[in-house]
Amino acid sequence: VKPRETTRSGIPLRSIYGPEDVPAEWGEAAASRPGSRPFLRGAYPEMYRAKPWRIFQLSGYGSPEEMAARLRFLLEQGETGFIMKRDRVTNDHLYDVDHPEVVARAEDVGQTGAVLLSARDVQIAIDGVPIERSYAHPGAGVVQAAPFCLASFWIAAKRRGLDFTQLAGTGQSDFFLTYVGCPTKEQIPPQAGLRLNGDLIEFCTERMPHWVPVSIAGYNGADSGLNAVEELGALMANAIEYLDEVQRRKRIDLSVVARGIGGINLRTSMAFFEDIAKLRAARKMWHDLLTRRYGITDERALRLRIHVVTAGSAMTYQQPINNIVRGTLMGLVAALGGTQSLGISGYDEAISIPSDHAHQMSIRTQQILQHECEGLMEVADPLGGSYFVESLTSSLEDRAWEFVDEIQAEGGFVTAIDKGWLHQRAAANTDREFAEIESGEREIVGVNCFTDDSYPYEVDGFAGGGDAWEQGMARLQKLRAERHERACGDALVALERTLRGDGNMVPSMLDALDADCSIGEVGTVLREVYGDWRAPVTI
Amino acid sequence: MSDLQDAVVTTSPLRPRAVIAKTSLDGHWRGVAVVGRALRDAGFEVVLLGMAGPDAIVASVIDEDADLLGLNVGGRVEVAERTIDAVRNHRPDIPVIAGGTIAPWAKRRLEELGVSVFPPGSSLDDIATTARHLCGLS
Repeated sequence: VKPRETTRSGIPLRSIYGPEDVPAEWGEAAASRPGSRPFLRGAYPEMYRAKPWRIFQLSGYGSPEEMAARLRFLLEQGETGFIMKRDRVTNDHLYDVDHPEVVARAEDVGQTGAVLLSARDVQIAIDGVPIERSYAHPGAGVVQAAPFCLASFWIAAKRRGLDFTQLAGTGQSDFFLTYVGCPTKEQIPPQAGLRLNGDLIEFCTERMPHWVPVSIAGYNGADSGLNAVEELGALMANAIEYLDEVQRRKRIDLSVVARGIGGINLRTSMAFFEDIAKLRAARKMWHDLLTRRYGITDERALRLRIHVVTAGSAMTYQQPINNIVRGTLMGLVAALGGTQSLGISGYDEAISIPSDHAHQMSIRTQQILQHECEGLMEVADPLGGSYFVESLTSSLEDRAWEFVDEIQAEGGFVTAIDKGWLHQRAAANTDREFAEIESGEREIVGVNCFTDDSYPYEVDGFAGGGDAWEQGMARLQKLRAERHERACGDALVALERTLRGDGNMVPSMLDALDADCSIGEVGTVLREVYGDWRAPVTI
Repeated sequence: MSDLQDAVVTTSPLRPRAVIAKTSLDGHWRGVAVVGRALRDAGFEVVLLGMAGPDAIVASVIDEDADLLGLNVGGRVEVAERTIDAVRNHRPDIPVIAGGTIAPWAKRRLEELGVSVFPPGSSLDDIATTARHLCGLS
């Protein structure tokens, strides 16, 4: 085993750390208590003694019925919140199933998430799911689709007799996913996305006390190639963009907004100690950003909550059972960093969407960490005070602020994305990573060392939801035949008018969903108003 | 340079030309960008077509007079199979390579069609060497 000279983001690694490696000015933060400012050591004083992290796995494929069945299965297995992953082909593009781009690859429909074309479909997808007492992520990952996803879930809940104020959950509408990691073929431009997110933030702040309106997901930057420093820095630059937008509108209180968007997502990977330090640094940076730049004093806003997803890209195609070990380690990183919520990627991640068994293993891994790993749930910030971890956290923070400055110098987060600057950073890291794997400098067991051509445990991957497109066509035809056509048309006209004006678009989106407009119809309105953005990805 | 969604290409009569496309509407671009650069470094002229349906891929292979087709399969293998069928109706001999999240059973199906399949974790050198070999280069 050849020792590494630096962490993945370039911080030098020495063989021994001592008091001299922790900067004097770091002492105050290091001596703070978990749950107290600047929250370096944890969001809450008692951490997992008071509340274990939420077991929160990505799930969804096929028809609404299949989504409901998988959600009920996961909750029965011990999941404590649920994520409704929606189909990339239809949902993320705001296409109906009869759109030509969808028809051209009909077999793909339902493979990356469930096909939910209207509020009626969401009603089916949450059938038997206790949404009134579970934390929900209705699949609003992609920016242009987020208002549709959230409104369809909220209308489905309303039709079940629930009030918006009773609903607890999270939006996402993440710029890293939408504009950096996984751009759709057609997408509204980032500036338009910022407006939609501003509207979601305002609406939830005023109407939905238990809902995180948008959630910045550094994961999607990190799994595209950004290192820990860049993930942290870009995440803070993204927060600046949201808060500046809300401040510019002068309609609602900034500290309430900051509290609303203070639920973010980070990736943990096999960069073990660096990623533990990353979670700790993120909380302190959030605190410092809000107090210094915006003068916010409300502790509830200053306390960052973190959801972690373990790196999908760390999961190997070769010898896939090894991935259960990787998932365990990356989950442990999240817990040692003080996460509030965790999803562990399936061991079949490199092969397919998760099978039932891979999903169950991800949950069991979390349960083993929570129930068997002694000391982990009892002690807050167990690595706090380690010379190495404090030194690393302090270095990461310094470098991440420098990266924030670099992004601001490029014109800010949205501009840096629009001109492909962040994509280039990610691509450069990816090239280096692949070169290191190719040369053997970075070792991955089963891939470039300890390979085994006769590995006996082949994993077939999951192949369900094969008729999702046909079923979607049948539901769409039924919807069009049964709904009140005039009400639907009027709602779409009203939606377009709101989008062309300065008012908040969420009430119009809710009206459109309540009139049983389909996803493609909503998409047509958005495309007409905002046009298309081309991802600045080059080779 | 070419981007994820629009093909831009500069022509050169000496270099073999590879069209790389994503068969599914899944925008993850890390894989195709890395493979695209590896093929370019191995002497190919690379047309990065981005997310494209079977018809668009056929059109690009014909328009660019491609020597090699690279498919990123992010969804069902059936879409890749239909695409390969459609391309071979016009260019029966064009070599095809594929990568992406391709399950072992799907990999075998593509290999039966004569496709060289490179799942995650494959060596870039292997991909480039195979690509050159398939195009009759050493």
